[in-house]
Amino acid sequence: MNPEALLQLDRVIHEKGRLAIMSMLAASPELSFTELRETLQMTDGNLTTHIRTLQEAGYVAVAKSYRNKRRLTTVSMTEAGRAAFAAYLALLERIVREAKPR
Amino acid sequence: MEQHVAAEHLQVIRTLMERSALYRRTLAPIMLYAGSVGCVASVGGILLGIDALPAFSIWWLIAALVAIGGSFAIARRQAVEDGEPFWSPPALRVTQALAPPLASGLLLSLGLIAFGGDDLRWVFVLANALFYGCAVHAAGFFMPRGMKLFGWLIIAAACAGVLGRPALGGVATSRPDHALMGGLFGLAHLGYGVYLYATEKRKTSS
Repeated sequence: MNPEALLQLDRVIHEKGRLAIMSMLAASPELSFTELRETLQMTDGNLTTHIRTLQEAGYVAVAKSYRNKRRLTTVSMTEAGRAAFAAYLALLERIVREAKPR
Repeated sequence: MEQHVAAEHLQVIRTLMERSALYRRTLAPIMLYAGSVGCVASVGGILLGIDALPAFSIWWLIAALVAIGGSFAIARRQAVEDGEPFWSPPALRVTQALAPPLASGLLLSLGLIAFGGDDLRWVFVLANALFYGCAVHAAGFFMPRGMKLFGWLIIAAACAGVLGRPALGGVATSRPDHALMGGLFGLAHLGYGVYLYATEKRKTSS
C-alpha cells in the first residue's frame, strides 16, 4: 500500500464540509441551499464558503431562481464534479481494500 | 491509519447519500390531518347510515381524496415556507412508491362499486387497508421515522380487524366496517401523528 495514498486524494473534496456537500449532491440531481444547510447543520456563511470553493473547482453549479415569490438557490453537481467524486471514492475504496488481510 | 480514515470517510459518504435521498417534510401535521379526516369519515358514515356498498365505497373514496389533497397542501405549504421546491427528488420518489398500490386499491374499489354486493364491504376494507399498508411501506424506503413499521402495522391491524369482523356484527349493518376504517385510517394515523409530534426535533432558528 502506498503510504502516501491519502495525499493523492482530491484536497478540494477531502475537506469534511465539502465532502458532505458532494456526498449529498451525488445522491440527488439538485438540492436547495436550505436543504443542504439543515441536513448538514452548517451556518449560511460556512456553507456559502464551501460551495464557492467547489464552484471555483468546477465541481458544482449554483442556480438562483424565484419560486412562490421567494428566492430559491439550488446547487447541483457538474460532470467534472461527478468524475472527481467518483475518482475520490475509488481511491478511498482502494485504500480500504488494500488494507484488508489477504 | 490511512485505512481507518478512508473507511470512516466512506461511511460518512454512505450515510449522507442515504440522508440526501430521504423525504424531509414534517410528517406529524400530515398524519394528524389524515387521521382526523379518517375519524370524521368513520363517525359520519355511522351517523348517516351509509350501508350500501357503492355508497360506502364512494364515501370512503371521497374521504381518501380529502385526506390526500389536504396532505399535499400541507406538504406544499411546508416547502414554500422553507423556500424549497415541492417536487424535490425525494418527493418524487415517495410519490412513485405510493402510486402503484394506491392505484390498485382504487381500481379494486371501483370494481366493487360496479359489481359488488353489501356482503363484500369487508373486502373493500381489507383490500384498501392492505394496499395502503403496502404503499406506506414502499414510501418508507424514502422516508424517515418508522414509516415502514407503520405500513406493517396497518397491514397487521387490517388482517386482525377483518378476522375479528364476524364478532362485531353481521353484514346487514355497516357500522363495524365504518369503525374498522376509522380505526385503520383515523385512529392509527392520529396515534402515529401524536408520536411524531412528541418526538420530532424542533427546528432551530437560523
